[in-house]
Amino acid sequence: MFDLLFQFLVNTGYYLADYRNYIMLVVGCIFLYLGTAKKYEPLLLVPIGFGILVGNIPFFKGFGIGIYEPNSVLHYLYFGVTTGVYPSIVFMGLGAMTDFSSLLAQPKLMLLGAAAQMGIYFTLLGALFFGFAPKEAASIAIIGGADGPTSIFLTAKLAPHLIGPIAIAAYSYMALIPVIQPPIMRLLTTKKERLIKMPPARAVSKKELMIFPVAGVLLCCFLAPTALPLLGMLFLGNFLKECGVVNRLANTAQSAIIDTATIFLGFTVGCSTQADVFLTPKSLGIFFLGAVAFSIATASGLIFAKIMNLFLKEKINPLLGAAGVSAVPGSAREVHLMGLKEDPNNFLLMHGMACNSSGVIGSAICAGILWSFFI
Amino acid sequence: MFGLENITNNNGWAIAAAGASIVFSGLVVLSFVISQIHRLLQIWEDRQRVISRFKQQPAAVEPQETVEMKYGEQRLPSVEKLVEAYKPLIEELEEPFKLSQVFEIANKNDMPHPHLSIQRLQEAGILAAQGDGTFTWNEY
Repeated sequence: MFDLLFQFLVNTGYYLADYRNYIMLVVGCIFLYLGTAKKYEPLLLVPIGFGILVGNIPFFKGFGIGIYEPNSVLHYLYFGVTTGVYPSIVFMGLGAMTDFSSLLAQPKLMLLGAAAQMGIYFTLLGALFFGFAPKEAASIAIIGGADGPTSIFLTAKLAPHLIGPIAIAAYSYMALIPVIQPPIMRLLTTKKERLIKMPPARAVSKKELMIFPVAGVLLCCFLAPTALPLLGMLFLGNFLKECGVVNRLANTAQSAIIDTATIFLGFTVGCSTQADVFLTPKSLGIFFLGAVAFSIATASGLIFAKIMNLFLKEKINPLLGAAGVSAVPGSAREVHLMGLKEDPNNFLLMHGMACNSSGVIGSAICAGILWSFFI
Repeated sequence: MFGLENITNNNGWAIAAAGASIVFSGLVVLSFVISQIHRLLQIWEDRQRVISRFKQQPAAVEPQETVEMKYGEQRLPSVEKLVEAYKPLIEELEEPFKLSQVFEIANKNDMPHPHLSIQRLQEAGILAAQGDGTFTWNEY
């Protein structure tokens, strides 16, 4: 009986744990704290944080328990990540939730979404500079798009061994938008520029809203067919919403389906941060480059907005450039809050959402382009 | 391999330049197309009039500067009419209220162009900002 008890004890997590597990458990708790107490992107940080806890409970390898062990339950759930299924489903839900009317009313703001994607390509060069392999560099660079599902999708295709750190970096920076973006916005804009008021957007007809997803999918996917799994689903979801005849499908896509995919995506990505796989020098490099990518993306949008103002008769508020990253709606909200701080009557939310939605499209195109370069 | 050598050997400069150009031009084309959708729809809806105009070639009419033109293609009612329409809705809200609440209640009551109407009421000073993101009804 003593032997049996001893054997049981040496198989417990308490016995098998090493310091790396404890580091990751602390990280998981920080995620849960940020998600619940600080309410930073709770829909993402709560499942990821809990996943980190679950993924870092030590276990006896070979029992088919861990996420990296074939035939384990977690491994099957992780299949949706490694194949890119969850990101595509999330995009469909996102499409069904997104109102593109502000973008349709001010198409010029789409250029800010394009400009913010420059962070991706600068980071690609940075990652190559630091010695990452080309496919790894492309996967790290896409963090600059500030789009979790897109980052996971591209990494699953190009560098599946980096999904954990890249997903965690992407979602962390998305959650840390209120910390990262405001200093860059203040640094690159003057008070006078921050006070610029945007004219009210014109009303957009139902027909325009219906034509947009069709035109969008045709134009974008003909240009970058590799973006089909993301953009095809995004525009499908949006068409379901706008066509008005399949409200049941649209409602399901924007609630039950996206919620289910988000839970499994977040949870399994969290589980994939198993300490022995996650805590490597490469992960630190990815976190550093991710921060660089996100900051450059924000700065590119802001600078491009200022350049546009040199040519436009009706000036745009350059803060909107920061919303060109595709962190929906976090960056638009941040732009709106900064505008309100300067002038309580300056409402930039809807304009920011226009840049945000073009950022989503832009980062998905970038993912498709990078994938096609490395096929 | 590290540094610029790694970038050059892996064709990094070309990938970055090509990628940035493709995404930029793609979104420029998309933005141009979507900026034309409403014009094309307008032409399609007015096709009979357009065809007959080509046939008759009437004299050009000078556009008049109206309040409606300031608001794009909207035909918004006057501020007085908006006050009349929105006042009963606002009375259902507790002061101070958020604009999102006004938008929500306007939507519920199928008010046309709630964004623009709220914007106009705000510009007219009827919806007065309290400085903390909330508003009060300030009818003269």
